[in-house]
Amino acid sequence: MSSKSDILAALGSGALKPHPLPQVEIAPRLDDLVGQFEASVKAVGGTLIRDNALAALQQQVASLVADGQQVISQVADVRGNRATPEDPHALRDINYAVIQGELAVAENGAVWVTEQGAGIRIAPFICENLLLVVRAEQLVANMHEALKRVNLENVGYGTFISGPSKTADIEQALVIGAHGACTLTVYLL
Amino acid sequence: MATTTTANHAEKAEIFCRDESRVDWHSKALWLLRQKRDRAASSLPEWEQLRELGSQYKLHTLSHLGQYLEQFEANCLKQGIQVHWAKDGAEHNRIVHEILAKHQVKKLVKSKSMLTEECHLNPYLEQHGIEVIDTDLGERIIQLNKQPPSHIVVPAIHLKKEEVGELFHEKIGTEKGASDPTYLTRAARQHLREQFLSADAAMTGVNMAIADQGAIVVCTNEGNADMGGNLPGLTLHSMGIDKMVPNMEAASVLLRTLARNAIGQPITTYSSFYHGPKPGGEMHIIIVDNGRTKALQDELLAESLKCIRCGGCINTCPVYRRSGGYSYNYFIPGPIGIAVGAQQDDTNTTAWACTLCGSCTYVCPTKVPLDKIIAYQRRLKAEQGKLPYGKERYMPIVGKVMGSATVFNCAMSVARFSLRHLPHAMLKPFSGAWGKYRELPKAPKTSFDTWYKQNRSK
Repeated sequence: MSSKSDILAALGSGALKPHPLPQVEIAPRLDDLVGQFEASVKAVGGTLIRDNALAALQQQVASLVADGQQVISQVADVRGNRATPEDPHALRDINYAVIQGELAVAENGAVWVTEQGAGIRIAPFICENLLLVVRAEQLVANMHEALKRVNLENVGYGTFISGPSKTADIEQALVIGAHGACTLTVYLL
Repeated sequence: MATTTTANHAEKAEIFCRDESRVDWHSKALWLLRQKRDRAASSLPEWEQLRELGSQYKLHTLSHLGQYLEQFEANCLKQGIQVHWAKDGAEHNRIVHEILAKHQVKKLVKSKSMLTEECHLNPYLEQHGIEVIDTDLGERIIQLNKQPPSHIVVPAIHLKKEEVGELFHEKIGTEKGASDPTYLTRAARQHLREQFLSADAAMTGVNMAIADQGAIVVCTNEGNADMGGNLPGLTLHSMGIDKMVPNMEAASVLLRTLARNAIGQPITTYSSFYHGPKPGGEMHIIIVDNGRTKALQDELLAESLKCIRCGGCINTCPVYRRSGGYSYNYFIPGPIGIAVGAQQDDTNTTAWACTLCGSCTYVCPTKVPLDKIIAYQRRLKAEQGKLPYGKERYMPIVGKVMGSATVFNCAMSVARFSLRHLPHAMLKPFSGAWGKYRELPKAPKTSFDTWYKQNRSK
């Protein structure tokens, strides 16, 4: 017998009686979603820009490009100076990535980014600094609401990003900037 | 897998306890995690509801596991993901090596996976000439230090920053004497960035496998799973059969509790859904049994498979905090390590490395009845005639004494008399290991029973 059929056969004689499939019936906290989101982004080490966010982002990126920084932008109306390569390794020197998020979560400051939004899967990780753009109407209260809206059809890869990368593996001291982006700014449109 | 170590839990704990200030520091560092967890949990009014849901989803999935594994595989195949099944660690390692060999992989970057520890994958691949780089900072530290993890979430919790500084100076060329965590982390970032960019393949563990999607979820704070998983074309993901959840709703419950319970964060920095290979790449999932179907044959042990490896039980455990991760004779320490590994401890002592205080069960986000399982592991050991040295002789006597009110009251009366009238130096030997670091108690004049009858009983 194959290992698969061995495993399935062994599962046939499991001791647990059948338990029913539960359902989540938790009322989402809907008061001041933007305020909740802002507090969460801050708590996880990120920055939220909510006033004239698109203009602020365009201005920021223009000055970065003028400064000679390497910027890849996947957001319409925001122009970087690098194209999306086929080989992800080619992005090793990227300073800033500008990426459209599809969903934001108030309870934890996370933004849902898909491979389509990122242009290439590595983009939000390999950059030194990450600038995420998300529309205010895409803001939901919690992960139950978020995963109700996430549709993985045609999405081979997607990730919730909550703050810049971090670690506390040396003596529990929090250090921002582990392997992914060292800073995260969320622009709420 | 049984360890070859013969020192028992108490002996190993004693080694750890020789440095008292380190024990205090270790205990405090872990208690800090527990406090962060408490704040994160109490910030959600629905916390207890989430724990109950976590438990129910896991029980449902485990009681229909065959069906969900098949659904998961079918959905993965539709997505172009290749699925492999392994009965045990040896088969898992063989499969991984075959895939890597086929692609002539020389260097593999690996993010945290307790399953690959369980299967002893690293030494196996190294024997076959493949370089394995652990990329989680804590795991890289202990890999360079040639040690196993001492905790499942914070694997280098036993090391001080000065020790990490010394190690990094020697291995990756940081400045001598430097011990600032930010400086050391930045140095590791650079060192590992080069490894990511030069790796031929990447491997991750799995936090959840979603049956009705054919997707796996990998959670990290550092971004190491995604830096690895999104660079080379070839990625492998190993999962125990217990990682299965039915649907996105179940995943949403666990994603709300996992990081809160582990380290007090509302969610990990990255919660990534891998749902198919990258363009031109290959994605493999290896589904591993390695004893899990056997645990499912027992109604109580089956509940240990509800665990989502947050480490919350380890952080709160008064024994773990003061005995360290290397005292358990199993690659997973603490309450969950005893619950899933006690039968493989050939010193027959780790099942007793527990006060049965129940704190672990109280914090568990999927309500694994850890204290009950640990007590049960003791029973299983006793039934096999494998009680720790000494217990086998005196426990039957204790049982008889405590089983009879007359004998018990008589014995207690003798004890009270002796404690009042005899020198403690003479009595100490009778208190065994308990009295090693403790003074004997002051004896009350009467038993509680007598006191109660005189004062409360009407």
